[in-house]
Amino acid sequence: MLNRIFLLTPFLILNFICIGQYNTMWIPDTLSGTKFNLVIKDTFAQIVNKGNQTITGGINGKFWGPTLFVNKGDEIQMKVTNKLNDSTTIHWHGMHLPAVMDGGPHQIIPPNTTWQPYWTVKNSAATYWYHPHLHEMSVDQITKGIGGLLIVRDEEERSLSLPRSYGIDDIPIILTDRDFTAANQFREVPYGDSVLTNMTLRAQYNLPGQIVRLRILNAAIERSYNLGFSNNKNFYVIASDGGLLNAPVAVTKYLLHAGERIEILVDFTGQSGTSVDLKAFNSLLANNVAGGENFANGPFGNYLGKKDFTVLHLNIGDQTTQPITMMPTKLTTIKLLNPADAAITRKVTISDSLASLIPGVTILGPNAFVINHQLFKFDKIDYQVQKGSTEIWEISSTSVFGHPFHIHDVEFNILSINGVAPPPAQSGWKDVVFIPGRMGGPGAGGSPSVVRFIAKFEDYADAMYPFMFHCHIALHEDEGMIGQFVVVNPSSVDREPKEDPSFFIYPNPASNRIFVKLANDESAYYIKLTDGLGRTILLLPKPDLSKGIDIEGLSKGIYFLTVTKDSSKLTSTKTFVVE
Amino acid sequence: MILNKIFLVVLSFASTFFLTSFKSNINDTISDFSLLNTNNKYVSTLDYKKAKGFIVIFTCNHCPFAKLYTKRLNDLHKKYLKLNVPVLAINAMDYLIYEDESFEMMKARAKKDKFSFPYLHDKNQEVAKQFGAEHTPTAFIIWKEDAKWRIKYSGSIDDNGENPSIAVSFISKAVDELLHNKSVTEPVTESFGCRIFYREK
Repeated sequence: MLNRIFLLTPFLILNFICIGQYNTMWIPDTLSGTKFNLVIKDTFAQIVNKGNQTITGGINGKFWGPTLFVNKGDEIQMKVTNKLNDSTTIHWHGMHLPAVMDGGPHQIIPPNTTWQPYWTVKNSAATYWYHPHLHEMSVDQITKGIGGLLIVRDEEERSLSLPRSYGIDDIPIILTDRDFTAANQFREVPYGDSVLTNMTLRAQYNLPGQIVRLRILNAAIERSYNLGFSNNKNFYVIASDGGLLNAPVAVTKYLLHAGERIEILVDFTGQSGTSVDLKAFNSLLANNVAGGENFANGPFGNYLGKKDFTVLHLNIGDQTTQPITMMPTKLTTIKLLNPADAAITRKVTISDSLASLIPGVTILGPNAFVINHQLFKFDKIDYQVQKGSTEIWEISSTSVFGHPFHIHDVEFNILSINGVAPPPAQSGWKDVVFIPGRMGGPGAGGSPSVVRFIAKFEDYADAMYPFMFHCHIALHEDEGMIGQFVVVNPSSVDREPKEDPSFFIYPNPASNRIFVKLANDESAYYIKLTDGLGRTILLLPKPDLSKGIDIEGLSKGIYFLTVTKDSSKLTSTKTFVVE
Repeated sequence: MILNKIFLVVLSFASTFFLTSFKSNINDTISDFSLLNTNNKYVSTLDYKKAKGFIVIFTCNHCPFAKLYTKRLNDLHKKYLKLNVPVLAINAMDYLIYEDESFEMMKARAKKDKFSFPYLHDKNQEVAKQFGAEHTPTAFIIWKEDAKWRIKYSGSIDDNGENPSIAVSFISKAVDELLHNKSVTEPVTESFGCRIFYREK
């Protein structure tokens, strides 16, 4: 016993010293406007103070890409270039956009390829994000730090007296946790031992003594964060995933699950010179909520499990010259969707799949969590949703574990969680909802947990490319906890045959720009440009043909252009020469 | 609760299944190999009649972390070639998928960065598979024992990519020990960097 204490003492002292040394929290760079160049690359960063750099994946930078500011109503054009030596995708989490631009598992960007999606921002002001969604590679690529925030602004939000000086009184906070090897490299694990807030270990930040806005994203692989302040201070939730709430909602704790965002206001007026910690009170979590398990060892063992820990140490300083000092009383008027308008109630199931119990289900491990009793398949569409329809989705879970459920394409209103109306802070627009583990706990007994939400699928019919719905715990998602739906037109317009698949390319040979003309002046659904060896160079969903295609910088040689027509989805390929 | 635990533990193993691994062990033998150098001539381990061993570095063109080591590899080659332990750098990246790793780009890289050591193209990834190379940069030391090449070290080149001035060179230490007929005290360190993806056949 004495021996043990001897060994422990120096370790504890070291640990204490380390914890005492805060690092100033890094703030992601920003990009704004309508045209965005994002380059995804292999890189490295000095994340651990001493010793080797950590291999990371960056977008324009080293870890978490730039925060993109966009305006509601603008058409934004993304130029996403993959310089990794592996394929990836970039999904615009929360954005309402055409499925072919969505960046889900189907929109694969091969190495050295530029993908150019574009869309008109229809989302309301809130904090969204972007991240890889390549099937079976989400854990790998998100662990490396590929992803970033996407902030939508609109007139309504702009008219409110809210903090919006980025990095001063409007602070982006990307929460996650990582495990480091002896050589400071990331381990691919569901839970890390170290909190990593905006790429910073033991993060601290200086805030002015006034009302500040924190935009918090849970970008963890698995962990939920039960957020609150060390002094149990009130804070005010002003926005959920997809928009402002009607009015600020005062809380002392908010449980943020993987993939979710909240914007909060915190009043530090008169507190200059003090410090407070933003903490995760995860000792309060049930053990079937991610981060509430109490495993010391094994693949899920981690130092932070079922503990309270600091995610950000805050030092309160002087006020800025134009401080926000009044808490708003009114933010917006949410027009909730009406259940009476719902054409259909979709019954989605979540369960724990035992291979032996489900014949014909091939799964990666002996067990997996599944949606609708099957694992993800690229060509399996669960639902055809009519464009323009309002639907109720009823997710019923018999899983022992709770799962943050995310749906692409839409923001929804939660109707009920186990028969109870959602708490006020979750009564606005959401794109992730936590589905609790089955009631009564594990074992044969218990009844399913049921969550109901309502969504309207207003635009973007596309019978070809589906949207996803899935568990946002990246590990579960990689293992196949994903379903798919397509939005289709009520009429059969999609399948109307008026086919002449021919097209021509001019000039040919070309040097800096080519134009593509389809028969009957039809529009293109997709254009793919490949080189003579079959490598993909450009991926252009729904390109504007009148603008031509920029081929500047392509080396001389023969290239292939594959055009998928908009109406029929028929595909044909032609060659052209770059000289 | 026990059921819960079992569920969770078992699930975690699934995610690593799809990554192909050819991992090697210390003292595994490596057969002689011959690969095309950026000067368009083949380089073979058999060319080095007096070689006691080789410092084999799997590296590539695009990986920023691998690029940090150019000067250090030139220095290692300069120091140990004289002692009959030359550096051989090998690029085994999938150039068919990633054009940046093509032989032409290798030539450009060797020229631009003034490689003093051979930069070999492992076109079919066969040599890399033999070594079980997983990332760039990854270092191996192979040593001649009973007329066979045996792996005596695998892992990182040193312990700090960005700050060579404070880095401790695992390679120098291991080669020095081998040159003094000692066993390598730290034969395995971590391999990390940009992953080498193996083409399926």
